[in-house]
Amino acid sequence: MPRETLSIPHRLESLSVLSADGKLDQDLEPQVPENDLRKLYKTMLASRQLDERCLMLQRQGRMGTYGPSKGQEAASLGVAYSLKPSDWMVPAFRETAGLLWRGWPMHTWMQFWGGFEAGNEIPEGVNDLPTCVPIASQCQYGMGIAWGCKLRGDGQVCAAFCGDGATSEGDFHEAMNFAGVYNLPFIMVVQNNHWAISIPRHAQTASPTIAQKAIAYGLDGLQVDGNDILAVIVAMREAIEKARTGGGPTMIEAVTYRLAMHTTADDPKKYRKEEEVQEWEPRDPLPRFQKYLQDKGLLDDKVQKVIDEEIAAELDTAVRNYEEYTFDPSGFFKHMYAELSPDLEAQMRELQAHLDRKKKPAPRQERAEV
Amino acid sequence: MFDFKLPDLGEGVHEGQIVNILVNEGDNIDEYQAMMEVETDKAAVEIPSPKAGVVTKIHVESGQTVQVGEVLISIDTDGSNGDGQPEEAVTAAAPAPTKASASSSTTTAEPPTATPAEPAKASAPANRGDGPVPAAPVVRKLARELDVDINLVPGTGAGGRILREDVERFARGESVGAPAAGSAPLKLPSVDGTLPDFSQYGPVRREAVPQIRKTIARQMTRAWLSVPRVTQTDTADVTELDRNRKQYNTALKDGEAKLTMTAIVLRAIAVALRQYPMVNASYDADAEEIIYKDYVHIGIAVDTPRGLVVPVLRDADKKPLPQLAAELNQIGENARTAKFEIADLRGASFTITNYGALGGRYGTPMVNWPEAGILGLGRAKLEPGVVDGQIVPRLMMPLSLSFDHRIVDGADAARFTNDIIQALENPLRMISL
Repeated sequence: MPRETLSIPHRLESLSVLSADGKLDQDLEPQVPENDLRKLYKTMLASRQLDERCLMLQRQGRMGTYGPSKGQEAASLGVAYSLKPSDWMVPAFRETAGLLWRGWPMHTWMQFWGGFEAGNEIPEGVNDLPTCVPIASQCQYGMGIAWGCKLRGDGQVCAAFCGDGATSEGDFHEAMNFAGVYNLPFIMVVQNNHWAISIPRHAQTASPTIAQKAIAYGLDGLQVDGNDILAVIVAMREAIEKARTGGGPTMIEAVTYRLAMHTTADDPKKYRKEEEVQEWEPRDPLPRFQKYLQDKGLLDDKVQKVIDEEIAAELDTAVRNYEEYTFDPSGFFKHMYAELSPDLEAQMRELQAHLDRKKKPAPRQERAEV
Repeated sequence: MFDFKLPDLGEGVHEGQIVNILVNEGDNIDEYQAMMEVETDKAAVEIPSPKAGVVTKIHVESGQTVQVGEVLISIDTDGSNGDGQPEEAVTAAAPAPTKASASSSTTTAEPPTATPAEPAKASAPANRGDGPVPAAPVVRKLARELDVDINLVPGTGAGGRILREDVERFARGESVGAPAAGSAPLKLPSVDGTLPDFSQYGPVRREAVPQIRKTIARQMTRAWLSVPRVTQTDTADVTELDRNRKQYNTALKDGEAKLTMTAIVLRAIAVALRQYPMVNASYDADAEEIIYKDYVHIGIAVDTPRGLVVPVLRDADKKPLPQLAAELNQIGENARTAKFEIADLRGASFTITNYGALGGRYGTPMVNWPEAGILGLGRAKLEPGVVDGQIVPRLMMPLSLSFDHRIVDGADAARFTNDIIQALENPLRMISL
């Protein structure tokens, strides 16, 4: 009965195309049309500014709790760009940039965080799920959709997002296991932003990398610089190609950093050191991508000015659309099924009756003391 | 004019402390310009202005703790400085945002929308429609075992949920009123409060409790449970005072109110409360602080056809006796005819109750929480008294002072009562008060 070393045929790669200061590795550079590069840059910048605006709206009491995506734009944008509109995208809740690319209007992002059902309205022409905050739920949704794609044989693939913390939850395990067993056209994108709310990356899983978790499920894992949009595009293109041609799932660990708070309901100064944030700031995906475009001669001050003006106008319009929106509570009921079921219809009527009653002034209540 | 109110900066944050104010009155500010830094339990944040305009008033100062909904800053958004109607504040919880006027100017002042609805505090009434009533499976099982139709059981749990106790109570044939909406029932310590079936002893009749009685019951229970109360009694010789009072009343000028004993005692209490601030205070057990009040508002217990009501006579220490007498009459009349607002019943710092008018002598009045003291006046009677070694008839009025022994020591209470007695026994002293 010998004891011998097993040879597991797996290797892990780490991929980065742009250096921290925006220098290019030409051998790895993906072919992206110039116009797409400009549009990607504009989307990334718009996402950053939308994010900053939402934070301010929350501070002014104009929006509910908000989860910022500052610093994580490249990972979601690179994924969204690489998918076809007919492919499926299952966002977690920091996929601002990716959703903007997929055609979600800015004001729907505000509506979602403002607590309005309308913020979940999926634009025509894309196969997306709405933004979803519960951790790791996206893994199961995405795996199930990918399974559906495989059963239909329609050649579509599904990419779902989760965070590093989610990989420590059961849903992630179950989704990965099914994806591997059924060889599904599924890409699990883990945005490793180093913080699970207030728990640092090293304190919530003992795995040296997130990517290596793929090995246990028998699927390919890849670590990419998630703050390098070109690396994300390279990784996604490979994973999508493999998934579309029956090669099965991939798990991509996009190494990134949450530059802001978890949500507006916490204060990162209370649990992480300012120096750590300062270490990551130079690796911010936005200036890196900006420098790449400038070096390619695709972005000068004139183009930048046009982009800035367009984004400012879009943001103002979005805020106006958001604040002009008149809330219709019947939306709670209308979107689960194609047709309203009798019990949902009864609930909708009951809510309406309740709201009608509330409009009348409440009867004066007497109150005595001693 | 736009009033910026402190929004809920986290989830369920109720207050914040102003750390720094970054603008001055008179400043022109831009939309999204930082106005102040506020620290809450959850985070210290910069608040950007929701409006462009001129800062007309800053309502708070650094270091101050403010509640969510409190106005922090007023901004003149169109330069007309206060001509317009105040705009809807941003923390309004109305579900439908106001439509903004479509304006593209840079100083556009669109009314901010309401943000997500606040979580409902009061539990919603149970769904008694077509769907199943809310109850846990174990409760349903119990109902089946007890042969109770669960659809008929009134639920007392959150949102009308039917609890095990509800089913048991229902099975025993007892009914229970759902707690009044908006008034959290005060829980008594867990003791077996199950009432026996009185009908086995004779005929009974059940009536719903009127709102005012529920309020009285709640307030009494709270006072009983939260105030360690002690009552101290004494008598005041009011022979001279009462003689003078009657004389005064025979020579009233037009428009002058009759002087009552309650009004006189009220005056004496008001002055004594200034001497003994602890009797005019409140005990904040949570903060471990004593709240001293720089005002003297006296609650007047009034017997009304609907039950006990305690309207408040404000600034009793600052009003001359004839005015107190007039106000006292008016307040009593308003209470009896229910011509008062809820606000008229709030804010007392001490209470007086004259049960002697109906015949009682001594009592142990309930301290009207969150106040620290209450003085009960008993019926004054002629009693043999000793004056200059002679037994003579004297008019003696019993006084019963109940006090919150957490803040008021027995010695303080005795001194406080002594002051009042001295005032009552020396009418000339009354005049000087």
